[in-house]
Amino acid sequence: MTTMTADNRSRLWEVTSRTIVYSAIGAALYGLLLVAQLPIPGSTVSVRPAFALVPFFGYAFGPIVGFFTGFVGNAVGDQISGWGLLTSWNWSLANGFVGLIAGLAPLYLARFTEGSLRDRAIGGAIAGSIAVVIGFLFIFTDAILQGMDIATIFSTLYLPVIIGDLIGTIILVPVLVYAWEPVKDRLGR
Amino acid sequence: MNIAPRYLGRGSWLARRDPRVLILVVFLFIFTVLQVWDGRVLLLLLAIAIIYYRSAAIPWAQIRRNWAVVFTFIGLLVFVNMLVAGGDVQALPADQADVLFYMPILGTPISAQSISLALTQLTRYLTMATIGFPIAFAIAPSDFGVAFHRLGVPEKFAFGIDLTFRFLPSLAADFQTTVDAQRIRGFDWSAGATGFLGRVRRSTPVIVPTVINAIAGAEDTIDAMDLRGFGTGRRSWLRHLIYDRTDYLVIAFFALLLVAATLGGFFGTTDELWTPQFLIDLAGR
Repeated sequence: MTTMTADNRSRLWEVTSRTIVYSAIGAALYGLLLVAQLPIPGSTVSVRPAFALVPFFGYAFGPIVGFFTGFVGNAVGDQISGWGLLTSWNWSLANGFVGLIAGLAPLYLARFTEGSLRDRAIGGAIAGSIAVVIGFLFIFTDAILQGMDIATIFSTLYLPVIIGDLIGTIILVPVLVYAWEPVKDRLGR
Repeated sequence: MNIAPRYLGRGSWLARRDPRVLILVVFLFIFTVLQVWDGRVLLLLLAIAIIYYRSAAIPWAQIRRNWAVVFTFIGLLVFVNMLVAGGDVQALPADQADVLFYMPILGTPISAQSISLALTQLTRYLTMATIGFPIAFAIAPSDFGVAFHRLGVPEKFAFGIDLTFRFLPSLAADFQTTVDAQRIRGFDWSAGATGFLGRVRRSTPVIVPTVINAIAGAEDTIDAMDLRGFGTGRRSWLRHLIYDRTDYLVIAFFALLLVAATLGGFFGTTDELWTPQFLIDLAGR
């Protein structure tokens, strides 16, 4: 198993034109596909397959791209739907943290991120799942901001969101990694 | 498929303001509302939010569905909170509350205080949504990047925000092309799937090609930015933002509200839940 060098670690935080363009594409796609999400009849939960883009962009392009995709993408989705860019800023931050944590996968999942294509795909699902469970803890700030009961936040918001997003992440992130890796090689990345 | 942000407030009094004003007002007002729990003060803040919202002249017919979603979401959240909280209201223990009745089956006590809390939360959410709507409909999408940069967001990230809004129409068109292409092959992503897993699986043939095409196509943009020396020095923006006197007055007004709410919390009772006397009397009968 290879270990991550200090150079590789510092590259995680580099901001280049590539970082900015991938961030903007991730955020635009996430915001766009959030609006096109499919409601489940008879349920308060929406299927958000688009959410898988947040851990995927983080995992594939690093923590800055992941954070931007989640944070700005969620805000843009709110903006398009009319809720307003900043009204639920803590939710946008929670989405951003998911992308950030998934983007830090090389620091805690090096065995997967530096392995075969299959390993990298599995690593994407694992990193995404860890990121969803931890990142969305930030929505408990609604207890302070909105005076909501912790149990309400857990049962009405946190649990439905992480269940839906975990399913989307576990199914879609590996598929996206499998689709992206050959393209990445072809582009000489 | 028209997914781009709708600039419905174009030409209105609020849309003529510097876009930074609308962003600052949301920050100032949200932190004002967050400090207030007195329903009477919140009603006053809601009235201010409605006046502000009306100045954006957003046509009701075009956003009534957005409001329906807001009301449904807020109503559901507040109702569930009232049930789950089980009568616990701020610092008041459930056994000291003025119980009006118990919910059938669940047995949750519904007190004068828990009803007040629910109505207060509803008003808080509504107030914040009302002040947030103009950002969605009264700022030109192309102004976000420069507005955030002038508010202190680092240049590269402000450019990223600008780029995000510029990518939306073309990516929406690409997404629609992918949906159409799959339909021609006999695959309709929005039909035929049942249940949660089925829906997610069915979205894969649409989402994956859209995402990979977008990333692969980004190389042209990256090359163009590199060739123009992106990030090598300070950049200029096409749009220049200048506050006018009205902008300063609007910001000052909302800043004063924030100061008043903060002082009210320290020296007054605006941070405590207010329960109408008639509800308490009702419980006593």
